[in-house]
Amino acid sequence: MFEVLDAVLERAVARGANDVEVFAEASTSRHIKVYRQEVEQLTAARRRGLGVRVFRDGAVGHAYTSDLSESGLEEVVARAVDHAAVSDPDEFSALPQPAGEPADVHPYDERLAKATDDQRIELALKVEAAAVAADERVKTVEDTVYADGEAEVFLASTAGVRGSYRSNQCYTFAYVLAEQDGQVETGYSYSVGRALEALDAVACGNEAAQRACRQLGARKCASMTVPVVLDPFVAAAFFGVLSSALTADAVQKGRSLFAGREGQAVAADLLTLADDGTRPDGLDSAPFDGEGTPCRRTPLIQGGVLQGFLYDSYTARKAGRASTGNGLRGSYSSLPGVHPTNLVVEGQATPLDEMLAGITKGVLVTNAVGVHSGANPITGQFSVGISGILIEDGRLTTPVREVTLAGDILGMLSGIRALGDDARWVPSGSILTPSVLIEPMAIGGT
Amino acid sequence: MDPRSIDRDLLHGTIARALRRGGDFAEVYVEDRRGLGIRLEDGRIEQTSGGHECGAAVRLLSGERTYYAFSDELDERALSAAADAVAAAMAGGGSGPAVVELGAVRSAPEKHPVRVPPESVAIARKAELLRAGDEAARALGGEIVQAIIGYGDSRRRVLIANSLGEIVADDRTSVRLAAQIVARRGDVIQTGVETLGGAAGFELVGEAIAREVAAAAAGKAKTMLDARPAPAGAMPVVLGNGFGGTLFHEACGHGLEADAVAKGASIYAGMLGEVVAAPIVSAYDDGAIPNGWGSQAFDDEGVPTQKTLLIEQGRLTGYIYDRLRARQLGAAPTGNGRRQSFRHVPIPRMTTTFIAPGEATPEEIIAATSRGFYAKSLAGGQVEPASGNFVFGVAEGYLIENGKLTTPLRGATLVGSGIDILRKIDMIAGDFEVKTGMCGKDGQSVPVGTGQSTLRISEMTVGGTA
Repeated sequence: MFEVLDAVLERAVARGANDVEVFAEASTSRHIKVYRQEVEQLTAARRRGLGVRVFRDGAVGHAYTSDLSESGLEEVVARAVDHAAVSDPDEFSALPQPAGEPADVHPYDERLAKATDDQRIELALKVEAAAVAADERVKTVEDTVYADGEAEVFLASTAGVRGSYRSNQCYTFAYVLAEQDGQVETGYSYSVGRALEALDAVACGNEAAQRACRQLGARKCASMTVPVVLDPFVAAAFFGVLSSALTADAVQKGRSLFAGREGQAVAADLLTLADDGTRPDGLDSAPFDGEGTPCRRTPLIQGGVLQGFLYDSYTARKAGRASTGNGLRGSYSSLPGVHPTNLVVEGQATPLDEMLAGITKGVLVTNAVGVHSGANPITGQFSVGISGILIEDGRLTTPVREVTLAGDILGMLSGIRALGDDARWVPSGSILTPSVLIEPMAIGGT
Repeated sequence: MDPRSIDRDLLHGTIARALRRGGDFAEVYVEDRRGLGIRLEDGRIEQTSGGHECGAAVRLLSGERTYYAFSDELDERALSAAADAVAAAMAGGGSGPAVVELGAVRSAPEKHPVRVPPESVAIARKAELLRAGDEAARALGGEIVQAIIGYGDSRRRVLIANSLGEIVADDRTSVRLAAQIVARRGDVIQTGVETLGGAAGFELVGEAIAREVAAAAAGKAKTMLDARPAPAGAMPVVLGNGFGGTLFHEACGHGLEADAVAKGASIYAGMLGEVVAAPIVSAYDDGAIPNGWGSQAFDDEGVPTQKTLLIEQGRLTGYIYDRLRARQLGAAPTGNGRRQSFRHVPIPRMTTTFIAPGEATPEEIIAATSRGFYAKSLAGGQVEPASGNFVFGVAEGYLIENGKLTTPLRGATLVGSGIDILRKIDMIAGDFEVKTGMCGKDGQSVPVGTGQSTLRISEMTVGGTA
């Protein structure tokens, strides 16, 4: 593949562009859905293509193609150059320079490459069977998915950046509907890893079923201001929204509530939050980012104090510092942007039982809808719909639904009272978080 | 490349190859897609990006099963490999049906005419739209602190051939403008959004239109600076026209998509002919609105798009089907088998889905409401199709007091269930309007029109922060 990248660089230079970067990706993936113990859908995919970024006096043009023929390469280079001509110059835009040795990360497991479709299907069937067997109130397992992907990326530039790596990952997912007395409730769960052996099919199915069934009989509750416990799925959704405000891009564009607060306490002192692109168990780990900068661990909040932000090469240059290796690309057709790799929530763990035992009246939040739309990352205010279970005298009692949880992000962070001992990876965004106890929070009900 | 240039024997051979170990329907989908995106922020045209992707997908159906393979390459080797990948998934109990010889290519370029192909327009001229929008937004005063204006155009040429002998070519061009404007006063920051788009060419937009779109978004942001925290509780809710239709799309429309229905994962399953809404409610999905943002001449399975009656005077009359679910449920396809690209399996998707206009005027509806909440424009939302439970953020909302709009309100969410609100609609105006949206489902994003007239829901839970 490097011959193709070099051919692109040569063509661009021939067109008078001196600062050029090319990113290519070749990948294969499988996506399998089973339903009622039969394969409902199997998708086998191959994709490959490249994206070219041209810098001309601070103006950036980008173009991508899946056509790697001579004429395809000629066209993609011509477009990138044309696009640079229409973009306005920006003094901080420049071709990223080599930034050191790649991180010692190998996000690839040979075992997954050897998996057969039969083995993949068997695993998915096991997830569904476990969900159905878990409880007689399970009405249907609406979605049972096994999916995996393997990709090889290549990066080269006229500045001398040159690298490639392979990565793979797989997961199972189950989404269960449970029914009782005409009321339907839903629950889901995931298992993630880099090999079939690393996935726990039975636990995934079981948990999805249990999460649906324990919501049966849910009803609205009265409005109240009480301690709440966010389970790891819900906590991950909030940390995900929070992380977009912790990018230098949001800060520099005036879209972050954390702007200007470095060194200040922004959360309870028991909270530590880091971005870590080097964790062997993190799905978004890689040796380097989409600009060739080595991935690393970047503390964001330590002991409740804001440590800093995430940077790509552009935002770093603007801030007069080095990139943190967070210039990530979604695919060969996207430009790099500042995004977290793996987000890791750390801190003194409290056993979950103990956490609940200390609550006279509160709510365990097990599902939140509208976190991404209902939470405003600029102002930090949010109001989201939730369901969960009431906590009364230290015990989980009645399930609740159709109530809202409202507050603001900073108030919520400083209200964190404890972190559970149940930390797990939540795949949407690759976030490792335990349950989080926050006090107080406003529940809006009847 | 033009997908119509693909050799017909190769298409026929690929379909037959996919069916050789069994299955009952096979299809080849070839796509060539080009797109351009330009974005302005901080008064500057940012990194302009665009590109070209082409590829093909082979799909094999066997009963209710779907096998799908795609590749970014379009040569004979890649198509054979894709056909082999889907055939390999079959147990191999004999071959499938004989493949009908491909007939004449059907196409309907007259349905959504493109007068000015975007690729014929210089990029610099497109960039001028953004500068005009930026200027118009900032002309609204110093409280406007940020303008993000985007322009995008795309051309998707598809060719769909199947084992029934059908072959359809569709050439789809679309153009869209979007403005997101941020206003600030002291510590209060508010954002206003406005969009305009269609299945049309560059004739749809111009500098004057870009100014209007940006000014409308800026106006919303400025108005909301005066907003007070919204109250919480149950009250009558008046939903504005245009963007207000997002609620019907999310809370009801998804439940009418036949994949959810076939699985019993929708509250509307098994309810055909039954009363699901107030008698004043009729609703449609219409993928054939000329030059509409969610419109196409054919869906992504080669079925012509149409206007489908979903709810007639409160009774459920139909669902939104693709081929697979239509076959499964014994219905006719409705032209709603859509896919984001050749990399995605077609599934039942809405096009432009809406509650039909009524007789009232928006003023009458507000005047008839002594105390309530007016949700003029909705932000994003989420819904569980199984229960129809939803949560929506309100981008622009006002208090209604004594039949008049008074204070703008911020931080409000609407919480409820789809079927419940359909039954509580008690007034509908005639000010029908459609807005452009992107709808996400199963990891696929497709353009949809959302719209409606101003309407009232007699009672709904407002989640506020006051």
